[in-house]
Amino acid sequence: MELAIGIILGCCALGAGIAMIAGIGPGIGEGSAVAKACEAIGRQPESKSAVTSTLIMGCAIAETTGIYALVIAILLIFVAPNIFIKALVNAKNSGLF
Amino acid sequence: MLLTEVQSLDIISVNIWQILISLINLLLLFLIIKKFLFKPVQNMLAKRKASIDADYEEAAEMKKAAAESEKAWNMKLEGAQAASDAIIDEAKRSAKHRSDEIIAAANDKAAGIIRRAENDAELEKKKAQATIRDEIIDVSTMLTEKMLSREINEEDHRELISSFIDGIGEDDGHDS
Amino acid sequence: MEVKKKKDLKFILTDILLLIGMLLPIAAGLVLKVLTEPASEGISITGANVYFTIKMPIQDLPISEAQVNSVIVVLSVFFLCLFLTHGIKERPDSIRQHIAEYIVEQVSSLVSGNMGERFSMFAPFVAAIMGISVFSSLLTLVGLFPPTSDINITAGWAILVFILITHYKLKCGPIYYLKGFAEPIPLFAPLNVIGEIATPVSMAFRHYGNVLSGSVISVLVAAALQGLSAKLLSWLPGALAGFPLFQIGLPAVLSIYFDVFSGCLQAFIFAMLTMLYISNGFPEEDYIARQRRKDEKKRRAMAIQAKLDAKN
Repeated sequence: MELAIGIILGCCALGAGIAMIAGIGPGIGEGSAVAKACEAIGRQPESKSAVTSTLIMGCAIAETTGIYALVIAILLIFVAPNIFIKALVNAKNSGLF
Repeated sequence: MLLTEVQSLDIISVNIWQILISLINLLLLFLIIKKFLFKPVQNMLAKRKASIDADYEEAAEMKKAAAESEKAWNMKLEGAQAASDAIIDEAKRSAKHRSDEIIAAANDKAAGIIRRAENDAELEKKKAQATIRDEIIDVSTMLTEKMLSREINEEDHRELISSFIDGIGEDDGHDS
Repeated sequence: MEVKKKKDLKFILTDILLLIGMLLPIAAGLVLKVLTEPASEGISITGANVYFTIKMPIQDLPISEAQVNSVIVVLSVFFLCLFLTHGIKERPDSIRQHIAEYIVEQVSSLVSGNMGERFSMFAPFVAAIMGISVFSSLLTLVGLFPPTSDINITAGWAILVFILITHYKLKCGPIYYLKGFAEPIPLFAPLNVIGEIATPVSMAFRHYGNVLSGSVISVLVAAALQGLSAKLLSWLPGALAGFPLFQIGLPAVLSIYFDVFSGCLQAFIFAMLTMLYISNGFPEEDYIARQRRKDEKKRRAMAIQAKLDAKN
């Protein structure tokens, strides 16, 4: 029983860690977006405000995949163990094994 | 610990009624903002726009009126200019007339004075001529008396010389 | 003079009443939270607390903190609107009228700039989205549970936006709408359907995930700092040992980023995406064509009417 719970918790934590690999994508994307925005501002300093607002907007949208990954990770850490352990306990009580 | 938290929801728990309630909340807030924020402000803005338009119209009308009155004033001013020009002309003419009169009078006076002076001079000249003639006659009579050393009829002689000098005087008068 | 003074007094009293109406829901929420706060030790990252549950046909409806707090936000914004437009005049003499005009003009120009003049009636809706989102996220500043970190709330807004998008897409005609799914080739239809459904899902999850991640990270950092100060200061005598020294400073900075900046940004993005999706769902050419069709129909109807009149 303890072993099963340990495996559930460990796998959930591992899954959360793997899910957060998706954080690389938005990082690279936002980095290149900011680099381009800096170039644009350097070329045309007068359009700074327009570039900045577009950049923030774009960054926030590019962040979406990272946010999905974060939601999955949070689910795996804080919600999934509960459900799995409950299911395990139910299964044990009903005499499945 | 996580299992004992019965009083709170899971971190993600989808519930259709909660979704519906939040949807209705947003609709409600939309109506509230439309009715209590946008409507009064937009009404007020429309009213302000109307009043500003009215102000502008009034200003334009006033400008028009001002332009008209300026025109009238300009016309009046032009009339006044003409009148003043006429007055000045009149004054100039009368002054000229008067000055002409004065000058003419002065000229007349001067001419009178000159004439009188000329007459006086003529008179003096004539008087002087007569005096000089008498003198010359006396002197020549005396000289002739002395030269001829004889007593001649002074009366005849005198007459003779007088006629002679008269002739000279007439000659002189012709020459000059 | 006497009458004027009386009027002023009435005005001030109304102002105070409106301010109380604005702050009372928040205070009530705080009291409710303090009274029902479950005793928890250590890190606890859970959803909203449930006050009571109502039996409903499909699914039981738990009245949770998120629901109560979103009602609090609606009430507060309602009184805020009343307060801002109270005593509004053609010649502004108060700061709040300037604020009200600023909000209205900014939102109107934003909407007409991003959606075109034909969607100018959407300005109050965009203002409502921004207002409810910003104030929901900013509730964390007074210590209340932010309704935006509950997926049901953001999902409700996203579904309303999705309904609007679909409504405007259907305005071009149902056949045109269905043809849109088989856009490059009919084989892509399932993908297009998934893409269509992904719109509200991504909108809901984006907002929810941003606010939730902020609060999760804040809680984790606060717990870590508490643990650090407990470890390092345990040798101090008495009450000083439990003093959370390292919790001063850093959580405030995190709160400014995650609660204020991120909350406002997510509200803006939600409103922006709403505008873009809705205006893309009903392009300008379609609008003009539709107007023309409408005009033609009206003209035809009028011609028929005229004919009937002539017959009569």
